[in-house]
Amino acid sequence: MNLGNCHNFYDFRELAKRKLPSPIFHYIDGAADDEITYKRNTSAFDDVDLVPNVLRGVENIDLSTTIFGKKIDLPLYCAPTALQRLFHYDGERAVGKAAQKFNTMFGVSALSTVSVEEIASLIDTPKMFQFYFHKDRGLNDAVMERVKAAKFDVMALTVDTITGGNRERDLRTGFTSPPKLTLSSLFSFAVKPMWGINYLTKGKFELPHLQDHVSEGTSTAVSIGNYFSNMLDQSMNWKDAEKLCSQWGGHFALKGVMSVEDAKRALDIGCTGIMVSNHGGRQLDGSRSPFDQLAAIVDAVGDKMDVICEGGIQRGTHVLKALSLGAKACSGGRLYLYALAGAGQAGVERALNQYRAEIERDMKLMGCTKISDLNRNNLRFRKK
Amino acid sequence: MNLKDCHNFEDFKKLAKKKLPSPIFHYIDGGSDDEVTLNRNTEAFNDYDLIPNVLNDVSNIDMSTTVLGEKIDFPLFPSATAMHRLYHHEGERASARAVEKMGTIFGTSTMGTVSIEEIGQINKGPKSFQLYIHKDRGLTDNLLERCKKAGFTSLCLTVDTVVAGNRERDRRTGFTTPPKLTLANIIHMTEKGSSIDKSVIDYINEQFDPAMNWKDAEYCVKKWNGPFALKGVMSVEDAKKAIDIGCTAVIVSNHGGRQLDGSRAPFDQLAEIVDAVGDKIEVILDGGVRRGTHVLKALSLGAKACSFGKGYLFALAAGGQKGVEKILANMKTEINRDMKLMGCRTLKELNRSKIIHRRN
Repeated sequence: MNLGNCHNFYDFRELAKRKLPSPIFHYIDGAADDEITYKRNTSAFDDVDLVPNVLRGVENIDLSTTIFGKKIDLPLYCAPTALQRLFHYDGERAVGKAAQKFNTMFGVSALSTVSVEEIASLIDTPKMFQFYFHKDRGLNDAVMERVKAAKFDVMALTVDTITGGNRERDLRTGFTSPPKLTLSSLFSFAVKPMWGINYLTKGKFELPHLQDHVSEGTSTAVSIGNYFSNMLDQSMNWKDAEKLCSQWGGHFALKGVMSVEDAKRALDIGCTGIMVSNHGGRQLDGSRSPFDQLAAIVDAVGDKMDVICEGGIQRGTHVLKALSLGAKACSGGRLYLYALAGAGQAGVERALNQYRAEIERDMKLMGCTKISDLNRNNLRFRKK
Repeated sequence: MNLKDCHNFEDFKKLAKKKLPSPIFHYIDGGSDDEVTLNRNTEAFNDYDLIPNVLNDVSNIDMSTTVLGEKIDFPLFPSATAMHRLYHHEGERASARAVEKMGTIFGTSTMGTVSIEEIGQINKGPKSFQLYIHKDRGLTDNLLERCKKAGFTSLCLTVDTVVAGNRERDRRTGFTTPPKLTLANIIHMTEKGSSIDKSVIDYINEQFDPAMNWKDAEYCVKKWNGPFALKGVMSVEDAKKAIDIGCTAVIVSNHGGRQLDGSRAPFDQLAEIVDAVGDKIEVILDGGVRRGTHVLKALSLGAKACSFGKGYLFALAAGGQKGVEKILANMKTEINRDMKLMGCRTLKELNRSKIIHRRN
């Protein structure tokens, strides 16, 4: 199997599985508890049917949309995710450059392995930074200043990781950052020697936004669940979020909002958008899927802020369904991470190209020429 | 595989399966008929979604609640189950110690293998005695008096075992309680109890009184004169009658899917019962609980607490006292984590606004 055989989400997943040491693959692939929410994130789309219109002259399709004041050419973007250089030695460099080629938003995590300064020098397309509210207030201020200086377009505060989710696959594989070789994980790394060679030779593993402040994640190996539980501030509240919002002074989003009530409060504190997300099913298993909750949130705040549907997207039609309900755009992590692990920048480009082709094809089949043509008349909820 | 590899229900079950003779494992694991209700008991939780709130300062979480007159550290307790010495040589001694340590209610069964008096010595925390009404009514009075003396804090009358369920796994494995096992609570009272080389099914059918009615239950409530639960109530009508005869709590349960297959799952029935009686009587959900989120879902619908059987029995088989401590600690950790992720600081904050049925 190689990149040329990858036609969809599952193909990229398969390729990633072959390339990555199993603890790292399962870190991407896994979710919380019994992974019920993770599965529902995608299966939710299957409870809704698209109803196409015909004979509408669909030779020219415009997929562009504007989120957080920035025009992007694709209503789907790369959500910020952590630790990308563990998946491919180019890490965020590869994903950033691929996102730039498609002129879509690139999200950079606080736990990224390439610095915001370097990302800013590499790409000039829209950029989002994802912020974790640490106990260490000096760290919080320093990160905020660096991202501002690097002229990122959007700041997204993650609010659904107040403590680490119960990722049992990580408990079993012993996954940590940085990776720690144990007697039981030795074999899984030894059978993927290319990964090991690249990890050791293509530049030191770093978390450039955090390592000057905390050793956890770089010189002290921790699981991501423990990082959240021990390093982030569990007393974080709406006042803190409001302060960060005004400290940033630009487009500001809350990532991980699931209730209508919280969506309204996000508006009150000055947010210009929210990501309806359950962190890819990696935090609270048994919680609602973003697509199931989307309509209620759009109805409440959709005319006043950008509502992004994040999680479970594996097909172009999923994007169309979310946009028809009123999402401004969609985002995802695994949808490009497997491709990154499989083939670096070329992999991410191939994945994004396929999503763009699918969305364009599906728009034509729906009889829609621009994103604003999609609305709830296109959808029927199938009664069970 | 050992205890430290046990992260969830399935892990404990796997380890128990390795340790137990297969008839005993299947006695715990099995349900009745086609086990449709057994499976539904857990699946039912998946038709409901939790909706978290964010940015709510969750640095301090209080999971404590008061059930059956006793304050417990977290809203989950092991249901009373029979014959612990089948699963581990320390039997109820192991489970009673573990539960006291974890700060919740310990339940012991009429069919226990360690006496009421010894449990009273071992476990100084909240204790519930689970009563089966035998044909021999003198036995009931005797048991209640002994429980009072031994410091039991509540009584629980099981009402869903008037006859034994059709546990086909037991028929196939030929499960019987071994001849040397002693049912310590009833040894002096019935010949059948002391050397029961027979199936539990036969014991239930021979000894339990199928004529048991509301008057008998009311008699027990009065005789006990303390916190009292009816276990195995599934209809709204019966829940209301439980209030009338003076019960403190109803335990919504189908006996872990071991009695009437095809009957409703406790979680599916919970909202209806809470709506009818939840302000007048404690409603406890029993059955299918495998995860902290299951407890949160039940509490969001209005249950006061949850109880579970199979999980801690597998843990008992897997590791004795340490096993039971570990599964209770796991569940407590999960409930704590899930409360934080829900943005809830106290159990009171869990309500219907936090949960939604998916096929509305």
